Formats: sequence, structure tokens, C-alpha cells
Amino acid sequence: MPSTDPPAVIQTRVLTKVYPGGVTALDGLTVDFAPGVTGLVGANGAGKSTLIKILLGLIRPTKGQAKVLGQDCETSGEKIRSLLGYMPEHDCLPADVTATEFVTHLGRISGLPPTVAKERAAESLRHVGLHEERYRLIGTYSTGMKQRVKLAQALVGAPRLLLLDEPTNGLDPAGRTAMLELIARIGAEFGISIVVASHLLGEIERICDHLVAIDGGRLLRADTITSFTQVSQVLAVEVEEGVAQLQAELAARGLAATTQARTLLVPLGGDDTYDVVRDCVAALSLPLCRLEQRRHQVEELFRDEELDEEGVWNV
Amino acid sequence: MSDSALSPPAAGVIHDLGYRGYDGPRLGRGQIIRALTWHSFRSSFGIGRGVKGKIIPVLAFVAICLPAFVNAFAVARGNARLFGYDVYVPSLRVAVVTIFLAAQAPELVSRDLRNRVLPLYFCRPLRRGDYPLAKYLALTSALLLLIEIPLLILYLGTIASAKSGGAVWDQTRALIPGLGVGLMWAVLMAAIGLVLASLTGRRAYSTGIVAISCVLTFILSLLLIQSEGGTTATSTGARIAGLFSPFTILDGVRVWLGGNPQVGLVANPGRYGPLYGLLAVILLAACLGGLAARYRKVSQS
Repeated sequence: MPSTDPPAVIQTRVLTKVYPGGVTALDGLTVDFAPGVTGLVGANGAGKSTLIKILLGLIRPTKGQAKVLGQDCETSGEKIRSLLGYMPEHDCLPADVTATEFVTHLGRISGLPPTVAKERAAESLRHVGLHEERYRLIGTYSTGMKQRVKLAQALVGAPRLLLLDEPTNGLDPAGRTAMLELIARIGAEFGISIVVASHLLGEIERICDHLVAIDGGRLLRADTITSFTQVSQVLAVEVEEGVAQLQAELAARGLAATTQARTLLVPLGGDDTYDVVRDCVAALSLPLCRLEQRRHQVEELFRDEELDEEGVWNV
Repeated sequence: MSDSALSPPAAGVIHDLGYRGYDGPRLGRGQIIRALTWHSFRSSFGIGRGVKGKIIPVLAFVAICLPAFVNAFAVARGNARLFGYDVYVPSLRVAVVTIFLAAQAPELVSRDLRNRVLPLYFCRPLRRGDYPLAKYLALTSALLLLIEIPLLILYLGTIASAKSGGAVWDQTRALIPGLGVGLMWAVLMAAIGLVLASLTGRRAYSTGIVAISCVLTFILSLLLIQSEGGTTATSTGARIAGLFSPFTILDGVRVWLGGNPQVGLVANPGRYGPLYGLLAVILLAACLGGLAARYRKVSQS
């Protein structure tokens, strides 16, 4: 894995967690998380939540070491937790208090003095987009508003690193977009590093600078998002009709094209490949609707897995 | 002025100050525990909750203070003080403590279990045992207020009508062991209430568990005491009949430590007194241990 210039916010070394029942959740995971927004992707059961719990110092690894912001997770749990904000995956809000009261209280538990806790609770709720609603009981909120309160309570303690576990859980498409924009903004404008655990690749791609993919407790790949989506030496060609004819014509002219659904994938030799494709299409008078150089897709990482169109695992 | 200046600011006006971090001082673990204790203490009286949350604490206070007020008035009109500081009105105290515990112990612990708020506490700079510790301190303090305030009302009402300094001194000397007994009650009953309430996140169930445990064991002990000849009996059976409920254990300890055996819930334990003391300590240790173990498990899940 390439080392990045700024120090890693999270480092794990041969991190292994075997639960008492014999289930291996993490299996020798060694990875560095660079500052910025990092996606932590993997199927359900890949070890994302276990990794987060170890980082929070809530469970001890069976073997190996994890460091957060330079502090060892096993020995400096409290110190680390004062620098972290955590948004759990599941519902975790009481219904019978107002968002302001709840977030202020958790600010106090994060170690803020009373007046600071009040100010920061109001600010955090404002940043996540809850204004007058914050004086209402949480029980009256929509799912989207609850997710925002969960994010606000993670922000209230002025963390240097946020761990967000499936932040778009239960949200409708508009809510997802709003939440993702909010996370991207926190990462870019607030100067807080963020780790977003998700099984939704499509979402992660939109907001992350880096990606850490794990599978079965092992590291699949860790890199910048751009390196995942580099242009490939493949040309994608789509025609309205006559796919087979075009494939045959291309073969006759020495280009071995493969089909993927209704798209022809042509190996890109050089600029003249474009000319050959154009000539073939023209010769057959086919309606051409797409001709572009293909990018690698994050999903290719998980080709073996059962992924549906939106990059969601079918588990 | 124009209309626009008088109308409230439009919903879209947001003065974005940008994000500001915080580099100021942070509280240590001790102060965080104190903050959580204070918060829990307040919520054990329904403060910071809706009106519904305040009903039972208020009723409990009114019920337990009423005899003290009435007696204090009676003393002011020249009558004697009827209620002892160490036993007060025993059956009323048992009933009020049971109701308060059954209603408010779940408020402190089951609520957080039910709403799954605990991960939000454990991801903050607290240690595993700090959460139950804070809850225990809060409920103990709340019970202490509930039990001691009527004693103080009774005391103040009585010394207000005292004729001499000696009478005030007598009252004070009688009050001190009474406050000690109250402390004993609060320390043990809070532990019992919390460990039982923390068994489940279902509020109704945990209220039921606390109430039924307190009431059934108390009735069992009362029946045993009755069947052995009542609180004045001196048989071995009568002496140990109070060992089956926390309230009678506490009263047995009171008599063992020198309290008046003529009043109260149990027969004089006599030479079995140390057994009551030992059982009280074991019960307390078991409940606190159970509470700590409960939250060690929760924090991992």
C-alpha cells in the first residue's frame, strides 16, 4: 500500500479479532487510513463494525495493533474516545427529549464544560440542518431528521475524526443525497477526517477521497478513489442494433471485441482504434449511441461478489 | 416602517458562521461521571422530562411527607412527636420506596437500554463501570432525599416548639441514627432497584420486576413474622423471619445496631442480628456486582 505524505489517522497492523464463538471477524488486517474522507466498504459481515469497535476501544483485538491519531487503542481508549465522534448504524435516540437537550447532554459526556456543551450542541444541530426543530421532541422527527441528530451528537464533542457507520441507513434517495452532501461538507470545510462505513459502493464513490475495501476480515484494497476509477485501455461502444454484426465487422478488421450486456468492449490500441470503430459503424450504417473510453469501476473489486446494479450486495 | 421589517425573518435567513472547533479545556473522567450523575439524579425526579415523568416522584414525596407535616403541626399545638426518626411510618416508607423505585429505577436504566443509547455513552471518554456507577450514585441520592426529607420536616417542626436547649439536643440525638438508617435504606434499595431494572429494556417489565420483587418478598417476610407470633415474639423462627425481604433485613439491622425493638417491621433479631448485617452486605455486594457485570456485557454488544 502506498504511504501517504500526511500521517495516517488510523493504522492497523495484523489486526485480528476472533469472537468467543470462534467467528473470525478480522483476519490480519493491516491498513492505513489517510486524512480526509475515507470509505470503508465491505459486505455485511466483512468486519466493518468490528473494526470500528476496536478503534473505539470497546472491544480488544485478539492479535495485532490499532492506532487512532497516533494513540494505541488498547492502552489509550479514553484519550482516543475524546478525539472521536461516532455515529452508530442503528437507532440510538430517546424519543422523549428534545434534540437540543440530548445533544447538549452528550456534549457534557464528551467532556465539554456546561456552557460550551450548550453552544456546541446548538451549532452542531445547525450544521446538520436542524434549526427550530431542535426544540421538538426527537420522537416527532422523521428518519432523516433522526439521522441528522445522530450526526450532530457525533460532532458535538469537537472530534478530530468521525466514524460513521452506515450513515444513510433507512433514508430515501433525497435524504441520502442530503446526508452525503453533509458528510462531504464536513470533510472538506470542517477539517475533520471521516471514515464512512457502508455497503453501498455507489454512495461511497461520490464523497470519498480514499477507499478501504475489506472482505472476510481481510484487506481487499486500499487506495485513492481516483486510482480505483482510472481510465482503462478499453473502448465502450454502444449501438442501437446490430451488435453481433458490428462485432463480426470489427473482428474482420483485427479488433477482438467482447460483449457485456448491450455494450461492445474494444481493446484500445491507439487513436486509430477510434477510426476503425467509426468506419465499421459507418460501413454497416448502424445507429451509434455511445463511444467512450471506459473507466475502472469500484465494483470491479467485488466482481466475484453478488452485486446488483446499484452496487448493493445481495446477501 | 415597511411590512418586511416587521415580519419575522424569512426561513431562509441563516447566518452561517462556519464550523468552529473547540480547543479549550475538557473535563476529566471524574467530572464527566459527576455530569452524568447529576443528569440522572434530575431525571429520577422527572426533571427534564415531560409532566408524566414528574407525577410519581411528586406523589411519592407528598405521601411520605404528609405524616411529618401533620405531626409537626400537632407538636406545635402541644402534642407529642408520634413518629420515630429511625422507623418513621414503616409501612408507608416501604410502600413509597417500592413505588418510587419501581417507577424511577427503570427511568434511569431501562430507558437507555430500550433506546439503545448506551453505545453513545461508551464511545465517549468513560470507562465501562462509570455508567452504572453514575446511575447508582444518582438513584441513591434520590432515595436519600425521599427518605430523609420527611425526617428533617419532623425534626424542624419539633424543635421549633422545643422549650429548652436540652430538648433540641434530645431531638438531634434521636435524629442522627434516623438519618443513618435512611442512608442504609437508600444505599441498599438503590442497588437492588437498579440491578433488577437493568435486566430488561422493556419499561413495563422492569417496573414489574422491581415492584413484584419488593412486594412479594416483603409479604413473605411479614407472613412468616405473623405466623411466628408477630414482632414481639422471641422464638428463633420469629427472629430470622425477617431475613427474606430487603426491607425487613434493613429493619433487622436497625434493631441489631441498637434501634428500638418495640417499633418497626421485624421481631427483635437478638443474637441473629449479625446475620441480618451480613445478609445486607452480601445483598449489596451482589447487586452492585451484578450491575457492573450487566454493563460489561452491554458495552461489548
